[in-house]
Amino acid sequence: MPRRQRHWAGRPPYLERPHFQFSSATLNGARPVNPERLPIDLRTGAPMRSRSQPGYYPGYCTLSQQKFWDAATRETIRKRVEETPPIRFFTPGEARLMEILCEHMMPQNDRDAAHKIPVLPFIDERLFHKKTPGYRFEDMPPDWDAYRLGLQAIEQMSRANHGRGFLELSWREQDELLKLIHDGKPMPGAEEIWKRMPPHRYWGLVIQDCVEMYYSHPFAWDEIGFGGPAYPRAYIRLEGGEPEPWEVDEKRYEWKAPPSCVSDPVEPEIATHKFHPPHGQGGTH
Amino acid sequence: MNVDLQQPIGGEFEAPHDHEHHLGPMQRLDSPMRRFRDDDEIDYLVVGVGSAGGVLLQRLARGGFKVVGLEAGPFWDTERDWVSDEKGSHKLYWEDMRITGGTDPLTFGANNSGKGVGGGSVHWAAFTPRFHPSDFEVYTRDGLGADWPISYWDLKPYYELLELEMPVAGPAQFPWGDPHGYAYGAHPMGGVGDTLIDGCTRLGIRVSAGGPVAILSGSRNDRPHCIYRGFCIQGCKVGAKASTLITHVPDAIRNGAEVRSLSMASRIELGKNNRVSGVHYFNREGRARFQKAKAVIVSGYAIETPRLLLNSACAEYPNGLANSSDTVGRYLMAQAGTVVLGRFDQLIRMYKAPPAHALTEEFYETDPKRDFARGFAIQTVGPLPIAFAKQMMAARGAWGWGMRRVMMDYNHWSAWGVLGEILPWPENRVTLSVERDEFGIRIPHISFNLHDNDKKLIDWAQKKTEEIMRAAGATEVLHEARYAHLVGAARMGSDPATSVCDKFGRTHDIANLFICDGSVLPTQGSANPGLTIQALAARTADYLISQGATIFNSDKRDMTPPPIRRHLSPPGTHWKGVPRLA
Repeated sequence: MPRRQRHWAGRPPYLERPHFQFSSATLNGARPVNPERLPIDLRTGAPMRSRSQPGYYPGYCTLSQQKFWDAATRETIRKRVEETPPIRFFTPGEARLMEILCEHMMPQNDRDAAHKIPVLPFIDERLFHKKTPGYRFEDMPPDWDAYRLGLQAIEQMSRANHGRGFLELSWREQDELLKLIHDGKPMPGAEEIWKRMPPHRYWGLVIQDCVEMYYSHPFAWDEIGFGGPAYPRAYIRLEGGEPEPWEVDEKRYEWKAPPSCVSDPVEPEIATHKFHPPHGQGGTH
Repeated sequence: MNVDLQQPIGGEFEAPHDHEHHLGPMQRLDSPMRRFRDDDEIDYLVVGVGSAGGVLLQRLARGGFKVVGLEAGPFWDTERDWVSDEKGSHKLYWEDMRITGGTDPLTFGANNSGKGVGGGSVHWAAFTPRFHPSDFEVYTRDGLGADWPISYWDLKPYYELLELEMPVAGPAQFPWGDPHGYAYGAHPMGGVGDTLIDGCTRLGIRVSAGGPVAILSGSRNDRPHCIYRGFCIQGCKVGAKASTLITHVPDAIRNGAEVRSLSMASRIELGKNNRVSGVHYFNREGRARFQKAKAVIVSGYAIETPRLLLNSACAEYPNGLANSSDTVGRYLMAQAGTVVLGRFDQLIRMYKAPPAHALTEEFYETDPKRDFARGFAIQTVGPLPIAFAKQMMAARGAWGWGMRRVMMDYNHWSAWGVLGEILPWPENRVTLSVERDEFGIRIPHISFNLHDNDKKLIDWAQKKTEEIMRAAGATEVLHEARYAHLVGAARMGSDPATSVCDKFGRTHDIANLFICDGSVLPTQGSANPGLTIQALAARTADYLISQGATIFNSDKRDMTPPPIRRHLSPPGTHWKGVPRLA
């Protein structure tokens, strides 16, 4: 008997069709992706083609394990994958800007159109329903106002420094403008807004929403090799990084970020956050 | 035998059956619940059915009293309502708006506040170390913080009771504080625990593996053992992790308690003769109601308890009910919870096994060689992908392709949490904001500031933890500053001028108003507060049972410690069906 049996069922049929109503693919049309915006394969030096499953766990599919999940979990995940909420909070103009912002925050050009993970629709859903994480920093406006103010600030800074709107900037110019907010040193042009909303808090708000929406999707679990729901089945191989029979081993490849981006390599620690977290925390203790 | 791993053994799992209230896969709510009318004058009205409230209700019902627990959140059916999913579990957390400020603002929600029957014990990681004897006399020993009005030895019998009632799994010999052992066996290790054991062992630091955690390592009665799926803080569908929802509330209902869920308390009514007469609340339809009671116990935890008292201000107590000392809302504490993350060449897969798995308390006590008082513990944490991504955003500034890259390495990281003692300071406090919630109740404002001792402790603890992480073999080490837990803000003490309630939780100002939850803690040690909160609740319950007639009919304060009522434990938890301690 082989040391590890590997079984995964074929993908459910609904994964074979693109079902997202509001994905980057629809916004940008079917244009091929600019190679400047694709990650580089370090073995060949060439841009990496978009694929159904980036990451180091080829063939791994958490959704293939649905029948091992309890009914409530299965329904929650099914809804997330099949029912992308409509845009109701942002205006169409804001949504276009937000869609680009989300692509900078969680770029997905290495994913093909059928396997992009909707980020903006779930942020919109949270804001539309006025769901909060249970707190608001005293120096911040409510989340729904903060999102609108942030978009205004981005647009104002773009016009003040480039003479053009944010959507007309090159990808790299956009990335650089955002990087300065990330660094807490936004470009001039939106001082009034940043007085009402510290840039690092705005950044924390947006990035934590983006990662929550991206990494709550089973496609992202496959990408990073996360086991996903495991009740009632259980994990049995707890030690040594061993995969369960339905998981797969890591198969790494070397890559570097697209030339048009400045978000990788990541920054070292941010000194200003020495004692207090800049964001909300999922419980860990 | 040829087992088909593509099919669940026994077929696909069925959806829950109608007309059954599930508390885990095996346990059911098995008796009809008694219902009181608003104008029934009940004996004890408990506000908040969480860690403390669940234990109180169970004890008081077994003691023969008419008791009702008001709970703002729902009465969970674990099979229908809970999911193995990070994003899908927000409903477990208290996510009503709170405004947070000060120089070092705390965050709330998922990190520290539960909503629904079981409260925080539903989403705690379930580390259950006891406090050390020194924790009860911090001021005497270190000249900082406060002393408790009770000693470790007063609480010890209740620690022993609750460790069996939950029960707690852990090593046979736990060496720190008052050394003791656990009746239920330690858990098998996972990848994160292994790194902590490795690092500590290489540096000669003692480490406790596989507990103490309130997670079943073997099945007991109608609760199965842990299946190591890692979703502890998303609510344990398995029923292996203890929460008062499954450990105490069913027995409370069986013995005649009512749990009134989706009922948000808004104000405690002060009646005649300086005694409270009941609680105003909004019921599940959003209608304002009033429940009469002979005595009221507030168990809303460190934010909602002071909020309710402050919102109950009246002519006699203009600064908030039971707040003649101006202490309600003050001395709020959170523990330093700095997370230290290490990247290893080998795979860890930290989503497997409970986040609460191994710890060391080697640095718990004040050490004269360090330049600060008190100390810290180091514990495993096992962030799932969303929590880990947020940590990478904080620890590294990760975003964009950098975030994608580091997340692809998720399975290579191990994470531990510092649990450090932050001292009680009067200006760390809960007050009322001018903003109001959906019921028109003023929402809380929280202000939090670190002081010199706190900062030195956090800094030292972070460096020591990083050193151990490197010793374990991590090639890259990062940290994220954060906090864990909430206690204080309605502290107990002997002096009515500087505390809200006495050592049994009775407010100094009003003889039939009690507080019983984490908010009564004068200091917090470096131990997770859950076990201590439940042990204090069992002790307060013994007092309420002994003193019932006196409490209902007079203002007399009898400070005689009550007898320990071991026979009030839920059936099958005490000396029966469990291994005996030596």
